[in-house]
Amino acid sequence: MDPEDYEYVAEEHDRLISAISKLDKTQHITEPTRNEPTNLNSEFNLIKPSKKLKLDNVLKVLEDNSHNVKISKKLKFSQNKSKVLPKPLEKPQAERIKRAAGYEETKKKIGRWDPVIARNRTVDFVSFPLKTRPVKKDTPTNIFLSKLKLKSPLELELEEVDPTPVVEPEVEEEELYPMSYEEMVEHRQHLAKFRAQQSYRAAKAKRQSKIKSKKYHRILKKEKLKQQLKEFEELQATNPEEALKKLEELEKARALERHTLRHKNTGKWAKNKLVRAKYDKEVRQQLAEQLSVSRGLTQKTQNIESSDDEPDESENICDIQISQDPMNPWMLKKSDKSNIDAEFNFGYKKYLKDKMYKRKEQSDSEEDEVDQNKDDDMSSLKTLTESLKKLNENESTAVIESKTQEDDTLMDSISEEKKSLTVQNKKNTQKEKSNNTRRKNKRKIVSTSEWVVEEINPKNATTEEELNSAFDDYEDKVALKVAKKLKGLKHELKNLETVSNKPNKKKNESSKEVDNLEYLKLKKQKQMPIIDEPLIESNKNVDEIPEPTKPLLETLKDTVPSTTENVNTDIDPNRFIEVKPKYLNTAVTNSENNYDDLDDEEQVVPKVDIEEVFEEDDVVTSFRQEKEDEINKNNPEELSLTLPGWGGWAGKGIKAPKRKKNRFITKKPPKTLRRDENKGDVIINESKNPKLAIHKVSDLPHPFNSVKEYEESIRTPLGNTFVPETAHRKLIKPNVITRSGTIIEPMDEEELLVPRNRNFNNKSVIKILGKQ
Amino acid sequence: MENQPSRNKTKRYFDTAPEKDEKTQNKNENVKVYTVKSTAKLLKIQKYKEQNLNRRKKAFINNNKIKKNFPNKAPIDPKKLELHSRGEGFTGQGVLHPLHLLKLKKREKKFKYAQEQAARADILLTEGQGYLEVDEDNRTTSINQKVIADNVDITAATKIFELNLDFGPYNAKYSRNGRHLLLGGKKGHLAAFDWVTKKLHFEINVMESIHDMSWLHVETMVAAAQKEWLYIYDNTGTEIHCVKKLDKILKMEFLPYHFLLATVNEYGFMSWLDISIGEIVGHYNNNMGRTSVMTQNPYNATVCLGNPKGVVSMWSPSSKKPLAKILCHKTPLTAVAVDNRGMYMATSGVDRSLKIWDIRNLDGPLQHYKLRSAPVHLEFSQKEMLAVALGNNVEVYSDCCITTTEKPYLRHRMAKEISNFKFCPFEDVLGIGTTGGFTSIIVPGSGEPNFDALESNPFQNKKQRKEAEVKALLEKIPAELITLNPFEVMEVDVPSMQDRMEARNSLLYLKPRNIDFTPKHKKKGKTNIARKKIIKDAARKKFINQSIEAKKILKQPEEDKNSKPKQSFGVLDRFVSKPKVKK
Repeated sequence: MDPEDYEYVAEEHDRLISAISKLDKTQHITEPTRNEPTNLNSEFNLIKPSKKLKLDNVLKVLEDNSHNVKISKKLKFSQNKSKVLPKPLEKPQAERIKRAAGYEETKKKIGRWDPVIARNRTVDFVSFPLKTRPVKKDTPTNIFLSKLKLKSPLELELEEVDPTPVVEPEVEEEELYPMSYEEMVEHRQHLAKFRAQQSYRAAKAKRQSKIKSKKYHRILKKEKLKQQLKEFEELQATNPEEALKKLEELEKARALERHTLRHKNTGKWAKNKLVRAKYDKEVRQQLAEQLSVSRGLTQKTQNIESSDDEPDESENICDIQISQDPMNPWMLKKSDKSNIDAEFNFGYKKYLKDKMYKRKEQSDSEEDEVDQNKDDDMSSLKTLTESLKKLNENESTAVIESKTQEDDTLMDSISEEKKSLTVQNKKNTQKEKSNNTRRKNKRKIVSTSEWVVEEINPKNATTEEELNSAFDDYEDKVALKVAKKLKGLKHELKNLETVSNKPNKKKNESSKEVDNLEYLKLKKQKQMPIIDEPLIESNKNVDEIPEPTKPLLETLKDTVPSTTENVNTDIDPNRFIEVKPKYLNTAVTNSENNYDDLDDEEQVVPKVDIEEVFEEDDVVTSFRQEKEDEINKNNPEELSLTLPGWGGWAGKGIKAPKRKKNRFITKKPPKTLRRDENKGDVIINESKNPKLAIHKVSDLPHPFNSVKEYEESIRTPLGNTFVPETAHRKLIKPNVITRSGTIIEPMDEEELLVPRNRNFNNKSVIKILGKQ
Repeated sequence: MENQPSRNKTKRYFDTAPEKDEKTQNKNENVKVYTVKSTAKLLKIQKYKEQNLNRRKKAFINNNKIKKNFPNKAPIDPKKLELHSRGEGFTGQGVLHPLHLLKLKKREKKFKYAQEQAARADILLTEGQGYLEVDEDNRTTSINQKVIADNVDITAATKIFELNLDFGPYNAKYSRNGRHLLLGGKKGHLAAFDWVTKKLHFEINVMESIHDMSWLHVETMVAAAQKEWLYIYDNTGTEIHCVKKLDKILKMEFLPYHFLLATVNEYGFMSWLDISIGEIVGHYNNNMGRTSVMTQNPYNATVCLGNPKGVVSMWSPSSKKPLAKILCHKTPLTAVAVDNRGMYMATSGVDRSLKIWDIRNLDGPLQHYKLRSAPVHLEFSQKEMLAVALGNNVEVYSDCCITTTEKPYLRHRMAKEISNFKFCPFEDVLGIGTTGGFTSIIVPGSGEPNFDALESNPFQNKKQRKEAEVKALLEKIPAELITLNPFEVMEVDVPSMQDRMEARNSLLYLKPRNIDFTPKHKKKGKTNIARKKIIKDAARKKFINQSIEAKKILKQPEEDKNSKPKQSFGVLDRFVSKPKVKK
């Protein structure tokens, strides 16, 4: 091919390309190229060239030499493989990273020294220079020494008699690792899992125990019970003996539960009774009994005497209030009159009132009621509201009968009733009778239980209509109840009559009723003594325990002296520690040679002598007085800061209430035990010695947090007069020992390889030293 | 004769041969059979050697068969270890800092080591205590000084001697190492001598009455309480001081570790003279009246005074009130003695009784003895033997503190009245000052057989004495540290620390410190209080039972009465309350 041809082909080729490029409609802006160096840049050439170097362009330069092809291929390959380097970071960032990396590096480097440092800080002493040539210790000293000199004949002889025992080299047993590494890891994981589960369970249990919902607990209990029953059934099939045991257990649990009387009003029996109680009085009494029994069981024992903290109601009332000016409005008490009336309702007055009451009942004149003043109305209203409230409260029980009285004697009658009841209380023999009469009289009964069992006067029921319209809603209800009640009462009366006809049954009945009465009586009185008695740690025998049939008051009377007797049993222990004197058979002095013959066998019977006669007893008493004074001197007394009249009335005969007084009394500090507390005739001076206190440590030094530990750490003296010399030397050895005349060179990295340093692995110490 | 004939002793010149004993037997017909173990230390050593030889032989036989269990060091008896224990030890509960914890634990190991070493060093106390040994039907009291003198070696026999002196009732005191003796006659005779060699240091008459005298820290100085003032003499009898601040002294005691001379005078003034600096560190009136019954408690350096009201009071120079008071007798006290360890105190009163008290716990009486006459003087020996002076008799009781003794261990009768006596330290000797001079008798087993030469050395030479003096001065304990509990300095002042902590914790922005204030346990095991409680409980139970019984008895007649019909009131009988019918 000649060059022309060549040129031609090229031209052809160019044309072809331009033709093809013309096919493409998009306009291409050719990149400016510079052919020759100029200072001027055409403004049209200011297109930003892409900075990317196109390899193709570069390769264009290379012709298709075989050699070049190779290179181009290589280049292309590399172009495909390699990625473009990212832009280098900003300088501060880069430096920061550099620093961080450097820190890590140096930390690691320096961290290697931690165990070395930690060990050097914790060892008893460090001796410099650190590098010491290890002394060879293959031969024990005695053997080494024995080589140095000849043995004397005596030594040889001794050797013969007592040869030195050959010290057996201890065979160090290799520690056995029962588990391989994997096993160990597995074991640990297992343990960790177990622990975690345990903690979950504990947390769950804790959460569940905090649930207060009754419903939840009920369900839980039932579930448990079911589970147990299931188990029981299963057992029945497999192991009948075990099942029997299980059954017994179940029964026992149930019995215990029943016994506690927790279900006093929730059980089937109680519910049935509740339904019937509306109509049947006996049932009501049974329920009341049940309740009072449960109360008796659950009651906490209390002191009969009221504590100081309780506000004493009676103290608020002035003693001489009555004697003072009655017109003084301040001195008049707000207390309701009925209360006072009740207090003074006895004797002939009571009798009179009773009579009046009866007469009024008989003459049911409505005009009288209308004439009654407003006060009376109000009082009766009060009682009504109260009773209604009660009714509301005890709707479930629904036995309460509200009743109104037009007269203010209603309250009187109640209190009277109480009185009469207490009187009856004392009359043990005539209980039956009084019971009957009472019923006929149709009086109120105030029981100890919430259950108020009462009878009504049917005539009085009609008086309700006179009352406020606010209670109209209740009216019908009450009336209905009254009617029902009446029915019940009539029925009861009939019953009673039949009972009285049967004398043999009567006794049982009566006794039962007496018991009931016991519960029904004395509303506020707690039946302490009976329940309390077994708790009193009386050393007296059974005689002391009052019989349950005894009435309350008697038992109370009985128990009070018994407690005082218990107090008396505190005895003076000093009486018992006396050492009995031992009579010694001593020599006789010349001056009193009364016993000429010294018979050693005989115990000498002492003659009463003048010294013993004149033993001063007041020496003892005066010494004890001295001790008492000493004790009292250091005991601060209670300080009363009460100002009479501050926040209350003061004056002659007015006592400030106890609670108020107590508020202003600064309590003395609790009594500290003296050293000579129980030592008899010994006085120990407990005052602090200020001269000694100077010498004592009054602040714990740094690492200690407990006095005991500090005292333990200084318990051993260091001086050689107190501890053996070897121990003394050990104790006073300095921390740093330097050998004189040697150069102490800094540690080099070889120190890292010393086994004692490498083996030091007290992590906590290393950590704390690494922090600094 | 049971002189263990089976043993083949090497015969020494002082050994008592059986033949010789037979002779003595013939001599003293009233005393038939007795054996006296001489207290000579050599004899003991020999015995010890013999035993060791036997043991070695045995060991030799055994060696071939049984291999040794403990190739390195012999284990220590835990009981012995317990004896040297100073406390439970550091447990590391209260220290949070791990580095300090580690250091303290290492220190604790050293303490343990010290304790072990002390226990191991016990085998160096080779000397054993001597004693009198008699047949079953004989008593030790029947052995008198003559018999003892006949049976001991001649050096020991020289320890029995008597000095007849003319200047009234004599007081005697030994120096602390037991080598020197100081005699002071009421009529002014003052003499000091090395009583072993009988070499006289000086002998003077001060031409005044001498009430009491005492050695000071070394045997070159002597203090004497004369008619008016206190004088100090050196070992040649030259008066070197006249302390006019201390007048009309009745009694004095020297407290060696504090360098204090504690005195009490006629008017009840107590004073403590620091002889190292010549200052009085405590001076006040005790308001207990005139008393000449005084002793020191070597355990805590308090001074015990007995007074006419039967009260023993303990005093320290730093507080003007007694540290403790015990009512010991209902009658005036005649003598007080405290044993070396400060465990027991013996008191005697005019009521002829002798009581032993647990003075460390301030408790007691542990024992109560009644004697035939009131003791004039009491003294404890180093091995807790109690010597009692009864007129012209001395009785020594060997084991009277813990157990109730039946009879005396030794009895010595003299022709003269006893004024005072002292046991010689590190010797089995009791020196008695009497109206007519001084008598020295042997009481086998009374002295401590092992002495610590650094503490008090009976064979001290001049140089050693000087060195010991310097050391003692360096280790002088300040007078303020005299308290009932000598270890009180080691305790942390908890109340003041509590106050300080409270103040600190109330500050804002300051991390409060949690400190456990419970102090170190003082003692383990059953305390005296526990014992007392048991006794009390038992007594109470007994009393209650008795009262119940009594009540029962009382009740019966009452019931009888109830059943009887009482006085009749006729119609009004119905109002008489009827007894309850029990169902």
